[in-house]
Amino acid sequence: MKKAKPEGERAKSVSDKRPVEYSQRWTISHKELETWLDGIAAARTLLAPRDVSGVTLYRPVANSAEIAPVFTRPLLSVKGVFFPPTERMFTIHKTGLEVQLEETFPEWETVVFGVRPCDARGARLLDAIFLNTNPVDAFYARRRENTTLIGLACKELGPTCFCTSVGGSPDDASGVDIMLYETEGGYLAQAVTEKGRYLIPGGEWKETDLAHQPSAAGSQYHVPEKDEWPGRFKDDYCAYVCPTCRCFVVRDEVLAPGEFERLRCWDSCMGENYRRVAGGHKPRFKRGERQRNRFFCKFYYFPEQYGLGAASACTGCGRCIEVCPVGVDVTEVLVDMEEQV
Amino acid sequence: MSANPMLPYLGKLVETRDLAAAITLLRIELLNGGGEAFRTSQPGQFAFVSAFGLGEAPFGIANTPQRGTAVDFAVARLGSVTTGLHELGEGDMVGVRGPLGNWFPMDKFKGKSLVVLGGGIGGAPLRPVIQHVLDHRADYGRLTILWAARRPDLLVFTDEYDEWRAAPDTSLHLTVDTPDEAWKYDTGLITQLLERTAPLPENSVTITCGPPVMIYHTTNLLAKMGFPPEWNYVTLEARMHCGLGKCGRCNLGEKLVCVDGPVFNMEAVGDLLETYL
Ligand SMILES: Cc1cc2nc3c(=O)[nH]c(=O)nc-3n(C[C@H](O)[C@H](O)[C@H](O)COP(=O)(O)OP(=O)(O)OC[C@H]3O[C@@H](n4cnc5c(N)ncnc54)[C@H](O)[C@@H]3O)c2cc1C
Ligand code: SF4
Ligand code: SF4
Repeated sequence: MKKAKPEGERAKSVSDKRPVEYSQRWTISHKELETWLDGIAAARTLLAPRDVSGVTLYRPVANSAEIAPVFTRPLLSVKGVFFPPTERMFTIHKTGLEVQLEETFPEWETVVFGVRPCDARGARLLDAIFLNTNPVDAFYARRRENTTLIGLACKELGPTCFCTSVGGSPDDASGVDIMLYETEGGYLAQAVTEKGRYLIPGGEWKETDLAHQPSAAGSQYHVPEKDEWPGRFKDDYCAYVCPTCRCFVVRDEVLAPGEFERLRCWDSCMGENYRRVAGGHKPRFKRGERQRNRFFCKFYYFPEQYGLGAASACTGCGRCIEVCPVGVDVTEVLVDMEEQV
Repeated sequence: MSANPMLPYLGKLVETRDLAAAITLLRIELLNGGGEAFRTSQPGQFAFVSAFGLGEAPFGIANTPQRGTAVDFAVARLGSVTTGLHELGEGDMVGVRGPLGNWFPMDKFKGKSLVVLGGGIGGAPLRPVIQHVLDHRADYGRLTILWAARRPDLLVFTDEYDEWRAAPDTSLHLTVDTPDEAWKYDTGLITQLLERTAPLPENSVTITCGPPVMIYHTTNLLAKMGFPPEWNYVTLEARMHCGLGKCGRCNLGEKLVCVDGPVFNMEAVGDLLETYL
């Protein structure tokens, strides 16, 4: 294992924006999009926004008909595709005094359709932790490599969206592999990475010189309007819906006598026992202190720890605002924090 | 180490021994490449030890690799993993993941006097410091060890005190909060012992490890006594689940205890220690 330096800085090398590798573009009809997605779904796992009991989530779909026709961003981000809520890291087999560990890695190829720019940005931010800061996380790396993201630009900001206030925009293509922009009667498709180009059906689509005109919403400072927030979840839910929250716990579970698995599972810094240590002591115990830590993490600690410079680890997706049962609003806190500096 | 840093090395328990009440020494011979990895471990580093089926937890590496090929850990029994580890015996297999974290810059300390302050199980990560100094005695100045515990039966490494005392230019001072009848050393907090012992701050470095309150009060007193913050070292602990700077839990402000620490000097963390309590 690589050693940490005894004192001073850790190695950090992350650039927030990756260059657009390709700029080849096509115009496609709704029908062509459907045919293409059906083909993808037949050959590999296709995840897309889908209605699950009235909530939109990225879920496997068998064909394009199962995709939610109209959606802003799903309630949960694409985070779970690379960093699942529960991941088995290895299994443990015990026989007498002998122990064997068996590594388990995800191997399947996944395509995600309908990724909103803020979620793509969230994935780039998780890359800073799991890929671009040593040591590389073996599970995240494997899943990220095997996943292609098809982005869908937003036409307008949703009720709690504020991507434009934190350096993003509803048509930012920098985190996806293919970007789709809605047009009259179809889409403008752009290959952003080589991986994306690979997925595009060569001769079938009509190439175009037309370029996407950057959205006017792109530069606006937007603050969500409070009345529209439903607030329907419990008090540590923000971390689960957030595309860049990544705290986890590691624990063993029994599978059968002598058979165990080691798991890592999402956790929330808002939970009361988050920092509890053996013996019962709980630093940062009060809710206000946990709250403060979460916001400082997004706007200061995370960027500082993983070399993001001035960029924040909040994508402006507004999910935490939407789910907070007590109306905590990250944008209000942000304004307060800026005033204090 | 394998390409998967969450996968532990297997290790065989070659010795288990009671160190103090509910504190056990685990001596582990590492298999499948682990021995190689730990041959270069440094005083102050830590590792995760697995009780397979129950989980893993972080512990300070309690010996220097120069003192033997096996790796020592002193484990206090407090919860599920530590209880599981206490129940194991010689020949049982455990997992070991590491070495992790930074370490005491022993080279930088050369030529200086050392004051080592250990409270309870906090003595575990300090043992390799003491071993290193004793094994390179001419490189360092005076070594003053202040060792504390709540009760006499909670003092760790008692069978090594004679070796420490016998070393040149080395002194050991013991204190407990609650003495028993046989106790013939100091009574009271380690801060009181520090005031009584009154080591001199000139050309000295201090190293403190113990429970959060002990670290807080001891480092405050050291500052008052004139020890400069950049030469007051502490080793901290916080709940952590990866030790690799990923799981997010162990932050102290913008610092991560697992990779920016566990060793810090007070210049770096002085302002943050309040949030550690
Ligand atoms: C860098 C470092 C060095 C340490 N060195 C030693 C040592 O040399 N000897 C020793 O006895 N103890 C040491 N500890 C504390 C030790 O890790 C905890 O006592 C142990 O995690 C308790 O685990 P448990 O499962 O028995 O407790 P439970 O209360 O059942 O805890 C459940 C889980 O919480 C986590 N956890 C609980 N307490 C702590 C804690 N204090 N620190 C980190 N994670 C915790 C662990 O993942 C643990 O498995 C150290 C901690 C750190 C961070
Ligand atoms: S935050 Fe921006 S990118 Fe995300 S869904 Fe809303 S408008 Fe689209
Ligand atoms: S708006 Fe809330 S949920 Fe979305 S990235 Fe920012 S902190 Fe996370």
